[in-house]
Formats: sequence, C-alpha cells, structure tokens
Amino acid sequence: MAGEPKKVITDGQDVRRHPVMEYVRGVGPFLAVVVQFALIVLVVDYWQLESLSLARLMNLAFAGFIIHHLLPLRFRLPFFGLLSILAVVTGVGHLGPNVFAGWLSGRVTTSSTVYHLLPGLTLVAIGLVLIGICHLPIRFWMRIVLVGLVGAILTMLRAQSRLFPDIAEMWVILGSMFMFRLIVYLYDLKHRTAPFSLSRAIAYFFLLPNVCFPLFPVVDYKTFCSTYYNEDWPRIYQSGLRWMVRGVFQLLLYRIVYQFAPLDVYKLSSALDVAGCILGMYLLYLRVSGTFHLIVGLLHMFGFNLPETHHLYLLASSFTDFWRRINIYWKDFVMKLFFYPTHFALRRIGPIRAMSVATIITFLATWVLHSWQWFWIRGRPLLSWKDFAFWMILAGLVLVNAIRETTGVRKRTLSPARITLRRRVIFGLKAGAVFCAMCILWAFWSCQSWAEFQTLLDAASSPTLRDIAIVASVIVVVCICGMLWGQSSRETSEGRGTQASREPFHFWRSASVVTLGALCLLAVPSVATRMDPNIQKSIARLHGDVLNARDLATQRRGYYEELDVARMENWQWHMAEDPEGWRKGDKVFFRDRPDFLLREIVPSVSTVLGNAAITSNHLGMRDREYEQTKQPGTYRIVLLGASNDMGFGVKDDQTYENLTEDRLDQQPPGAGYSRYEILNFSVAGYSILQRVLRLEDAGFQFQPDAAILSVSAVDDQFLASHLRKALIAGVNPPAEYREIVERVVHEAGVNGKMPAVMIERRLQPYATELWQWSFRRFAQQCRQHGVRPLVLYRPAPVDFAGLEPAIRSKTLELARAEGIEIIDLSPAFDSVTDRNTLILGKWDDHTTPLGHRLLADQLYKDLARVLESRPPTASSSSK
Amino acid sequence: MNEQEIKTSIKNFILNEYLPGEDPAALTDTTALMTTGILDSIAVLKVVTFLENEFGITIEPHEAVVDNLNTISDIARLVITKKTA
Repeated sequence: MAGEPKKVITDGQDVRRHPVMEYVRGVGPFLAVVVQFALIVLVVDYWQLESLSLARLMNLAFAGFIIHHLLPLRFRLPFFGLLSILAVVTGVGHLGPNVFAGWLSGRVTTSSTVYHLLPGLTLVAIGLVLIGICHLPIRFWMRIVLVGLVGAILTMLRAQSRLFPDIAEMWVILGSMFMFRLIVYLYDLKHRTAPFSLSRAIAYFFLLPNVCFPLFPVVDYKTFCSTYYNEDWPRIYQSGLRWMVRGVFQLLLYRIVYQFAPLDVYKLSSALDVAGCILGMYLLYLRVSGTFHLIVGLLHMFGFNLPETHHLYLLASSFTDFWRRINIYWKDFVMKLFFYPTHFALRRIGPIRAMSVATIITFLATWVLHSWQWFWIRGRPLLSWKDFAFWMILAGLVLVNAIRETTGVRKRTLSPARITLRRRVIFGLKAGAVFCAMCILWAFWSCQSWAEFQTLLDAASSPTLRDIAIVASVIVVVCICGMLWGQSSRETSEGRGTQASREPFHFWRSASVVTLGALCLLAVPSVATRMDPNIQKSIARLHGDVLNARDLATQRRGYYEELDVARMENWQWHMAEDPEGWRKGDKVFFRDRPDFLLREIVPSVSTVLGNAAITSNHLGMRDREYEQTKQPGTYRIVLLGASNDMGFGVKDDQTYENLTEDRLDQQPPGAGYSRYEILNFSVAGYSILQRVLRLEDAGFQFQPDAAILSVSAVDDQFLASHLRKALIAGVNPPAEYREIVERVVHEAGVNGKMPAVMIERRLQPYATELWQWSFRRFAQQCRQHGVRPLVLYRPAPVDFAGLEPAIRSKTLELARAEGIEIIDLSPAFDSVTDRNTLILGKWDDHTTPLGHRLLADQLYKDLARVLESRPPTASSSSK
Repeated sequence: MNEQEIKTSIKNFILNEYLPGEDPAALTDTTALMTTGILDSIAVLKVVTFLENEFGITIEPHEAVVDNLNTISDIARLVITKKTA
C-alpha cells in the first residue's frame, strides 16, 4: 500500500530476516550515515548557510533522525509530524537554546518564553483548522468553499499583518506551507489518489525544513505518500546525504557568484563584464536549486524518498527540456492542476490547439501563482509587466518546441548505448544555444527595470576580440558538458522508481564521496588560507549571508532616491529587508533645492531616521545650534560629507563629529584656542561636487579656520547619481562648475532623456577626473578664503567588495596632488574583529554608534596633531 | 478484446509512434516508459488520445499519471479497468 514502509531489499532479492539481525547488520551503514549527517550539520554551521535558524534546525533534525530511525516503523511518521510541529513552534518564534536556557535559569520569565511560542502555536492552530476543513463530513465542493473563505480571511490578515505584531513572523511560513500544498492536497483528496490520515497530513503540511525556507518546493502529496520508505533505508538515507552535500555545494557556488560576479549594471565597463553579469544573474538561481536539494535531502533522512527537484537544467537541450528540468516539482504541480485539465477539456478542438491553449494557461497560472507566492512572503503581490513578459516569452518558446515535438519525430531509444557521437554533438550545440538564450532571458527578468536591461545591452555594444574569445570559450565548455551529461530521462517528479533507482547502488562508495566532500568543505578554507594568506578576505566574504557590494550600493541609492519597491527586491529575497519605517523620516528631514545642490536639510526639525532620533539646527545642519558669527578664541571647522558624516542611524550626541568636538573642548590641543567648533554641513547622498559647492554656498559664511572634506570608498556612486539627477531635472551647474560638467556630459554622450542607469554607467569612467577637479577647486577656494583645507578619509565599516585599499590610495593620491593635508582614519576600525558590529543591520551598512566612537577617537588624535602643526604652504605641499 | 490484444495494440502504437526502428522484443510489458523519458508529457497526451479512440474509453486528467502509464502492463490495466467500469 502506498505510504507504508517497504521491507528491506538487498541485491534485488526480497529477503525476510529476523528483526534483531536486521538491526545488527544495519549498524555499520547506520553509523556511517550518522557520521556523514553530523559532518553536513557542521558544514552548514561552519559556513553559516542561509540563517542561524537553519543551523538550529539541522541540529534538531540530526537528533530527530537518530530517534526516528531507531523507532519501530509504525511510530516513525507520527514522530516526524511531532518533530516538524516542534520545529515550527520553536523556530517561527525564534525560541533558541539561549531563551530556553534563560528560562531554566530564571533569567527569562515564563511569560516571555511563552511569548516566543505564540507565532508558532498560532501557525499550527491555523494549519490544523485548514486540514480539518478538508476532511469535514460535508460535500466536497462545500469544503472547497470553506477553505476558500478561510483562505480569503487569512489573505486579508496577511495583507494587514502589521496589525498583529506578536505573530508577524508566522505569516511567511504559514503561506509557504499551505499556499500550494493545500491545493495539491485537495486535488488528491478529491481523486483519492493516495492514503489519508492525520499523521500523514501533519507530516505533509508542517514538513520539518519548511520553517527555515519560505521558498519551498511544491511537494506532491501522492508522491510524498508513495515514496515513503519505498526502498532500502541505506539507499534512501544515502541519497539524502548526497543531495544535501550537493545542495551545500550549490549554495556556496551561489555565494561565490553573488559576491564576486560583476552584477552591478552601473559599473559594467566592457562587453566581458556584461557577459559576466548576464551569466551571474542566471547562476544566482543556484540558491533556489541548492536550497531545494538541501530540503529534499533532509526529507530523505526521514524516509521520504522524494525525487530530484532540479536536473542539470543548465544543460537543457531545448526549452521544453529546460521547463522539465528546472524546478521539476513546480512543473508537475502546474501540469497536474492546469495543463492536463485544460488540455483534456479542450481535446475536441484538436491536439495542437488544445496544447497551445493549455500551455498559455499553464504559464499564466505560473505567473499568477508566483505573484501569490510573493504576496505571502512579502505581504503584497508582485504584478509587474516584466514578470508577465518573462513568463509569456518562456511560454512561447516552450510552446514552439512542444509543437515541434508533437508534429515531428523526437528520436527515442530503449537503450542509452545507441546514442551516437553525432547525436551527442547535436545535444551539445543545442545545450549551448539554450544556455545562451536562457542567460539573456534570465537577465531580462532579473534586471530591475527595462532601462537597466537597455544599459546592459548598451555596455556590450563594442566587444573586443578578447571579450568575444572568452565568451565563446565559455559557450564551448557548456556545449561539451551538454554533449557529456546533457541528455536526460528525467521527466517527472512522480514517485515511481526512476531509472536511477534501478541502477546498482554502492553504499560505501557514495558514503566515501559524501564524507570527503563534507570534509573538504570544512578543511579547505583553513588549508587555502595557510597556503595563501591573501585568500582569507575572499573566504571571509563567503561566510555568512551578507549583502554584496551591488546590493549595498543599491540600498544606498534607495535611501536617497526613494527607489520604488521593484528595484529593492533583489536583496529582499535575502531576507535583508529594512524594517518598517526605517527611512520614513527622510521626507521630513530633507527637501529639494532648485539649484545644483539639489537637496538640503530642513532647518529645525526632529524626526527618526534609521531607528535613531535626528535633529537639525536652525541653520539646516544635522548638528547643535551655532551662531553664524564666530566667537573670539574659537577655532571653527566645517565638515563636508555624506550620510555617515551626517550620522545616519545614530542619535544626535553619537555622531563622530559631535564626539570629536566634545573631546577637543575637553582636551584642547595646544593650538592656543579656548573653544573648538565643528559645524556639520554633511547631507546624505551628497557627491564630492555637492560637498565643495556647499562649502562655497554656505560654509565660508561661518568664518571657518579649517574645512574638512570627508571622502570614502563608496562616493563614486554619489557623483554619478548627482549628475544624473541634475541632468534629468534640467538643473544647470553654477558658472564655475559648468565647464567641467558640460565637458564630461558631452564626452560621456549622456542626456536627461536617457534611462537613469545608462547615464550613471556612462559617467562612471569620468569619476577620477571629477574627483581631481573637485579637490583642486576645494583647495583653491579654501586658500582664497584663508581656510585650511583638509581631506578626511573615512573607512567603510565593512568592505564586502574588497575594493577599499585601491580606491583609498587613488583618492588620497589625488588629494595630495592638490596640496591638501590628509587625515586618514583608516586605522579606526582595526581593533574590531567582527566588522558586522559596525553596521546598523544586514539591510543597512551605515556606521553604528560604536563605529562613530572609534572614528571620533581616531579623528581627535589626528586632528590634534594637525592643529598643533603649521599648515603647509601650497607650494611646499604640492611638492 | 482480451488483455493480450490490448497490450499488443498499445505496444504497436508505441513502437510505431515513438520507437521506430527499435527491436520490438526489447519493449516488454514492464519496460518503463515515463520514468525513462520514452514518454514525455506531450507524448502522454498522444497516448491518451490513442487509448480513447482505440478502446472507446474516456481518461480523466488525474488518470494520466505515471502510475497508470509507465509500462504497457500499467496502460493495459487502466484500459481494462475503464472498459469494465
């Protein structure tokens, strides 16, 4: 009977053994499985894959696996159900061992502990209600209506989830568990295609790994039941371990692509960069295939011998083949629910027409259901023309292929040995062609906007021979892989024995490979670091789920330009979304200007930005109150910078500028002044041009003795976005700035009617020239006004891209060339081992109060030294 | 039509339609068709149409699954069940 564990089968013979003997014979393989599983748990923990919750879940699953295996067969499924519920109840509310230990020791109150359980318990209760409705002793259509009603209520509650902050964490997982599986369950319940029981239903809906993965494969209920211990347990467990290792490898590969591929369209400088970007975007899907492998592998450890979720989709030889191989569970789900019913209903209009309509409906459903999925994960639906276009283009490609397959004759063989070299070559060429087409289509889908896609094409407009040769060799590699491994017999995820399962199974060989793979993943970083210490930084970037340089840059843009949600979504998939209201104060604190400065701080306002109170003085600075006229005996400094200098995300008295000012007053350097003032003219998002202009526009009116121009490694993007915004708004630069700006705009070939991203990308090569000009202007203006010019280099709290040393030395060289004194705060963060403590959050890399304190310590030291020395003359410093 | 005749008819159809040139003896009643890729989702539709026309039965969408169509024996069993229902 489906769902019942099968007897142990060895060498194809059905042998009944004494249960005790069976256990004894199984000890060796079982211990091997335990060791491999433990290694995988360590690997997940070591690489901090996905989240802390996953590491905890893996520990729970490991302990649960041992108990599960030792239990008599009839108790295993109920045990798995209970274990899954335990994972949900503790996992959703983040009830970790610390809270539990705190409760045991009395540090955490019982009510607080129970509070942690609330979201998980709510989820389980709602889930049980939904399952209960499916089995009510009423007509089936009435059950459907009831489920629909409850679903509609839950949908409304999900849309208003902020009204229920105590259970906010559970919506994503609830949606992930029920949004598709409930449909499959009802379908199978209607047709009675599988056995039903409470423990099966609980096990099916609350699937153990689901609590960590909102994006979860659509497991088919019938397959779930029919594959339960349908083979020898060593084979099932070993397959699971192999898949988990494969999943881990894919997730690490994903991280390599995510961290190192040139994914920032704004910074593409050659056709090769574009090819890398397009390939990188496609390969980002490794995250999905990796997590799905990990999930299904984990389920194997509890007897669910589920089939593959992805099968070498990068080597698909046609678009139908691609559709069959990528996310096989999804394909089966929409085929079962939409394609077959539509096709069968329309058979009378002819097979081709029926297939065409069914295919279009299937892809439309895929588009709508992806939006539905998005809604449950994010809280609002995703209905964009880009997604629609992507699915419809794919539908068209698949349909054309399918019609060709229906009308033509696809060569099929009973024996793989008959595949000739010629056929292999054809397979390889097809794999290469489909790979290229899918890369481009995927890039179109992944780009944040049509303009970004246009920019991508624009950047690839003049390839060099070297670019073409490199891209061609990558395609050749894909073709060769397609020739060797491209052919597939994988068509369905349905649970009957596949060809692979009938092949000879070598337990110990597989166990050795998995053990070796896991050990490599644990040992390689330390071995590689010993061999080449420079690799340490790269490996550090692969540890943990941190945003890459592009996503952090996109976020910075987001803060200042109020980017629409669609542009933000690329990092939000990484669960790095900024909390509600993080940037709300932006609109209160800043206002637009009609001139080249474009924006400024509103005088005398208080609001909250980045979760910290922020106040502006009556002069429009994020600073304390000052008189415009300098008091005698006062040394006055103006600070010109951007958001970190302004103190985004820290309180008024925590900015490094105020801390330094206090320190200078408490411990004045021996420069003969009784009072020191630092007037903060920094405005979030200001480019170097705006900072210098701000000095000329306002700073000099305050009779400063010194002007500090703060610069950092990420300032290039502000320059490009400043000019782009000015161009689009039609704002002319002031007369003195006009020549350089107009020349750069002319040479870059940009104008205000072009897509924003294209303007910025084309302006990137002129950044150095603009920096040079700005430093020169800054130095000249300061000297004209008798002000001491200083350039302050402020280190980035985290340097994910590893670009800081090069940018720092280039920037400071430019400043020195103009005779400007340098205050280099680079060593400020040297004492911090965990740089993540210096950023406000995963979603925001602005400096924390700790970072500001460290910057202030360093600045005081350096500034005191500078102020005690005489300013160099222009001629001497130029030398 | 008895079971053997049904199987022969199905086998001939599959050989003619999808495995031209293959040794008929290599295609047995238990040769896996769907899980080995001989019958893909599009081919399944053709098989269903053939079964409906040839044996005068109606197959429902939920019946066009690997359990019923993976081998010639499975298909024959489906046909017999349908004809006797």
